[in-house]
Amino acid sequence: MNLLTLPLFAAQGQSNAALWMFLVYTLAVLALAGLSNRLMQSKSFLSEYFLGSRSLGVWAFALTFAATSSSGGSFMGFPSKIYTHGWILALWIGSYMVVPICTMGMLGKRINQVARISGAITIPDVIRDRFNSAVFGLLAVCLIVFFMSFNLVAQFKAGSIILSVLLDGVDVFHSTSIAFGNFVGGLDTTGFTQGVDPEYLLCLVTFGVAVIVYTTYGGFHAVVWTDVMQGVVMLIGVLILLPLALTQVGGLEYATSRMAKMTPPVRVTATLERNGDSEEERTIRKGSWIVLRGTDEDDAEDQLYRTVTAFTIPAGKTSSDDVELLKLTTQADIEQVLGNKTIEPIEDVAINETKTTTYKYGQEKPGSFVTGPGPSPKSDSGFLPLSLGISFFFMWAISGAGQPSNMVRLMAFNSSRTLRRSIFTVAIYYTLIYFPLVMIFCCARVLMPGMEAEPDRIMPAVAILLTENIGMGWLAGLLVAAPFAAAMSTVDSFLLMISSALVRDIYQRNIDPEASEKTIKRLSYLCTLLVGTAAMLGAVNPPKFLQDIIVYTGSGLSSCFLAPMVFGLYWPRVNKYGAISGMLAGFSAHLSMYVAGSFINGSFFSPYRVFNIDPILVGLFVSFITVYLVTKATPAPSEELVRRYFHKDGAKVTPPTA
Amino acid sequence: MTASASPVGTSDVEYDATYIHARREGALIFFVWFLCLIWAVPVCYFTGYDSNIDPAKLETLWGIPKWVFWGLVVPWLAADVFTVWLCFFYMKDDDLGEDHEVAEMHAADAAAATKGGEA
Repeated sequence: MNLLTLPLFAAQGQSNAALWMFLVYTLAVLALAGLSNRLMQSKSFLSEYFLGSRSLGVWAFALTFAATSSSGGSFMGFPSKIYTHGWILALWIGSYMVVPICTMGMLGKRINQVARISGAITIPDVIRDRFNSAVFGLLAVCLIVFFMSFNLVAQFKAGSIILSVLLDGVDVFHSTSIAFGNFVGGLDTTGFTQGVDPEYLLCLVTFGVAVIVYTTYGGFHAVVWTDVMQGVVMLIGVLILLPLALTQVGGLEYATSRMAKMTPPVRVTATLERNGDSEEERTIRKGSWIVLRGTDEDDAEDQLYRTVTAFTIPAGKTSSDDVELLKLTTQADIEQVLGNKTIEPIEDVAINETKTTTYKYGQEKPGSFVTGPGPSPKSDSGFLPLSLGISFFFMWAISGAGQPSNMVRLMAFNSSRTLRRSIFTVAIYYTLIYFPLVMIFCCARVLMPGMEAEPDRIMPAVAILLTENIGMGWLAGLLVAAPFAAAMSTVDSFLLMISSALVRDIYQRNIDPEASEKTIKRLSYLCTLLVGTAAMLGAVNPPKFLQDIIVYTGSGLSSCFLAPMVFGLYWPRVNKYGAISGMLAGFSAHLSMYVAGSFINGSFFSPYRVFNIDPILVGLFVSFITVYLVTKATPAPSEELVRRYFHKDGAKVTPPTA
Repeated sequence: MTASASPVGTSDVEYDATYIHARREGALIFFVWFLCLIWAVPVCYFTGYDSNIDPAKLETLWGIPKWVFWGLVVPWLAADVFTVWLCFFYMKDDDLGEDHEVAEMHAADAAAATKGGEA
């Protein structure tokens, strides 16, 4: 294929399709919340609000499970990683081949059965009743609230960033943001919102209010129904993008062969000098191309840079302050960009490089995008060394089984038949989503060079490019809704989990067991509203290290919950001493890797890795061993408890009270 | 531990069938996860982690690097086939029991109705 025929950046601006799609989408989820609320009128409030009365059928259960597991990261972070590191992401995500059977099949049937026997609505409920220990139940509540509160703030931030990326370029969005920023600034006398980007603030409030309203009003069924809609949107998005990407790039064979010749770009810090009149201020936008033409005399080739941020050369000055640029190093990419008629690179500035930062692995030699361990800007060992490849097989499949947000869904299906069919449905769903995403964004590497300058925009940028190239720009609105849908479906589930922990596990089970349904109902609405609002306010000035917080909390929850739950469901001999010890040991071992990292590597979020393996493996190993050893060293549980949960007709045994 | 506690496993009561089936299915799934691990990671490592691979001679199948195809695409499809077999031919349709919370609610409703009738 001729490089110049590749469709490149046909869409620099963004149509209003994303805005319309977002509005339609938000109205749809609010309508679903209304329907869900009507359903609650005829059922037990608590069971319906937090668990959907254990009535989920195949499609609802399969898609809510799949959508909750796919956070915004699946459609923003994952494509960005594929683009940045190449084919190695197929191995990084490889264990998704067994994620459905592991996360649903290993625990699903038993957790649902045990929850029915005890009448449990939440995960702490299950733990408290299975081990007959109120203290253990409260410990589980504390850990869930601790981890999920941080995670919720991070997810709110992720959702808001996704929304702002999707709406970037929509005129009415920018003008509304400025007005909204001024309005909030006028109201805020404390300086709480000072320095916050008004576009981010508007997206946060819009995203937050939509999620809080539909989750609060509709409860579990609203979350499930919106998850179903979101799951369908995600699948349709991928299935449309795949053929468009393959045909427009000229086939996967061509894309892979081009990737094999690529080398990663170089980060450059430089000052820019202009050649022309210095009396006027000159602003250069983010994502602009700057070319330094080579000369025939010395056979020098053209050099191509892309701006990472917008910057200005002030009036009266000839040069800018230091700016961040991305310098392309693959000649074919440079020729492709310069040969595209829709791009007008800046040629009247000179670049004085003051600092260059190359990839620590994969910079010099072509081929790193199509082989392991993949290029890495940070690590000498590459993106995915062998030890991390093994860790990720644990991370997705095994750690996924230990997530309380997944476990609570396993309590909600209506029969074993539904479980079987749902595992099959999710397996096909993941096969149709994850490997095609790798192919799509490998093609994107070829179609859109230089996107390392703004990797989070790769998903919407590709959607807009591919659809506008076939004259169907409106379709981009549907495609870009996929990452937004993914973020929403994760946030709503986490919100409900924290709320249920507070109302059911703390208030109803420990403070006022005789509380009337009216009181519980009001408290549930109030808690969901307050927790959501608090998380939204926390995200106004969110902590940095967004992805790191999500990884820390996800792996931390699994280190705490997986071992006690597996033993509790499958080993009659396990007792509360072993399970509590295992939970605390998993928490401590996992945390200690991060604390050690803060001393050794200088940052809490650069954990210490024993033999280069992820802290989650340490946490899981310590937790499983501890449960086993402590249980063996302490007395067996009561015969009544074992009968109730393990023996035929055991459910009829009167439960001991914790 | 209270005095009423007795050693587990000494009872002559049968284990619940759902528990037995779920345990067997869980063990099989864990074994398959392990098989996938020892297939995918070594195949990818030994055929795709060579920094001396000549990009011009990269072997592909349908545009996919060969190490990805044999190390991930093939086991992924095999895992899907296994999932079909597991879900439609191996897993049992076990009785999960009655939801006690819902059952208690219905009982409370029935009691309230009876009480109202008596009044």
